[in-house]
Amino acid sequence: MRAIDAGVALCDVCHALEYVQTSDEHALCKRCGGAVHLRKPNSLVRTWALLLTSVLLYIPANVLPIMMVHSLGQSQPSTIMAGVIDLIQYDMVPIALVVFIASIVVPSFKLIGLALIVTSVQLKRPLTAKQCSRMYRFIEIIGRWSMLDIFVITVLVASVRFGNLATISADFGAIAFCAVVILTMLAALTFDARLIWDHLQEPEQAQNKISADACAD
Amino acid sequence: MQKLLDTHCIAPAHTAAVPGLAEPLTHLMGCHACDLLMERPEPGVHAQVLCPCCGASLYRYQPQMLRRSLALVLTALLLFVPACFLPIMEVRAFGYQTLDTVWSGVVHLYAAGGALQSIAIVVFLSSMLIPLLKLLSQFLVLLSILFNCARSYALVLYRLYQHVREWGMLEVYLIGILVSLVKLLDIAEPKIGAGLICFAALLFVQVWLDATMEPQQVWCALTEDASDAGY
Repeated sequence: MRAIDAGVALCDVCHALEYVQTSDEHALCKRCGGAVHLRKPNSLVRTWALLLTSVLLYIPANVLPIMMVHSLGQSQPSTIMAGVIDLIQYDMVPIALVVFIASIVVPSFKLIGLALIVTSVQLKRPLTAKQCSRMYRFIEIIGRWSMLDIFVITVLVASVRFGNLATISADFGAIAFCAVVILTMLAALTFDARLIWDHLQEPEQAQNKISADACAD
Repeated sequence: MQKLLDTHCIAPAHTAAVPGLAEPLTHLMGCHACDLLMERPEPGVHAQVLCPCCGASLYRYQPQMLRRSLALVLTALLLFVPACFLPIMEVRAFGYQTLDTVWSGVVHLYAAGGALQSIAIVVFLSSMLIPLLKLLSQFLVLLSILFNCARSYALVLYRLYQHVREWGMLEVYLIGILVSLVKLLDIAEPKIGAGLICFAALLFVQVWLDATMEPQQVWCALTEDASDAGY
């Protein structure tokens, strides 16, 4: 049985159990003082909002240059994909693979995966709950790795300072990319994983009112 | 690693008997990932408890948690300053020589001005401030458990830790350093500095610490009598 059916909620922070009234959105945990929700409020709407914003920002993140290489009076823009291709050309395929996975595969997977999970929760079927929860856990773990490119730029900007011969500076694509990473991490945090299991355990004839109130919007 | 037996779950048939407001919840526990309500296994019996429904890890018992964590957190704090301020690498090219530290990376990004400063702030937060904040709060929480004092502050600090833990990204930074080392190979001769070794050591200790300091044990220790917690 679910905790929500017993009128019990887990603290978001310390996972202690607490009796919560359905209407009470500001309940606090007696153990740690953190927020306690039967289900995170407006979880689906907020996740969608964050996801859509990240999808929009994902375009400039990939199209705009993330850094400029200034050399002998000339400036050459470099996008994320160009960085990967450069690495391949220098015969550094393993490193190219790492960068490709961290900055292209992971963000795309996160966007598509979260969208799939949220849709399947809303439509109450396509993917099984096991698949969804496995995917969600995976997305939570890999999310931060897309920051890789931002850190690479940081190190390059600081270490390539050779006067007029060569300098590197960050560019606007990096801001968009950074925002995508942060927003998708927030989207994963806002999504309430418990929703994945809700429609499985709800008796079909009497859809649980508590969860409908707490999270359907 | 012992999996929680299915019999520990409350079977739906018993549900009517279980709830009932004001009944104490101490013998129960819930899964944060799928909301399953189950009986709390005896503390210390299982090395690890997994949710029988969704497989999420609920609890992992760490023997000697306090002492081991204190040792690790002290090591990490000692390593923090050299990791951030000693040069991670030294790059020579065209007669120029640059030294790069974690801190100088932030400074040079910030110096670019304009909107790009936001990236510098994100890098500063995720590679320096939040990791330091995490370590300090862990350290103070452990001290509070050890000396049995200032519990209410420790609760606030540990809550803060739980909120920021995901945003410290030392391990990503380390891979970032390695990727840029490789990228620099074709235009310059990068040399690894002492900072990089400290940074890698800091990362190693911090990951170990995060695995050792089991949150459920810490919460229990912070709210119950030190003698009772048994950790």
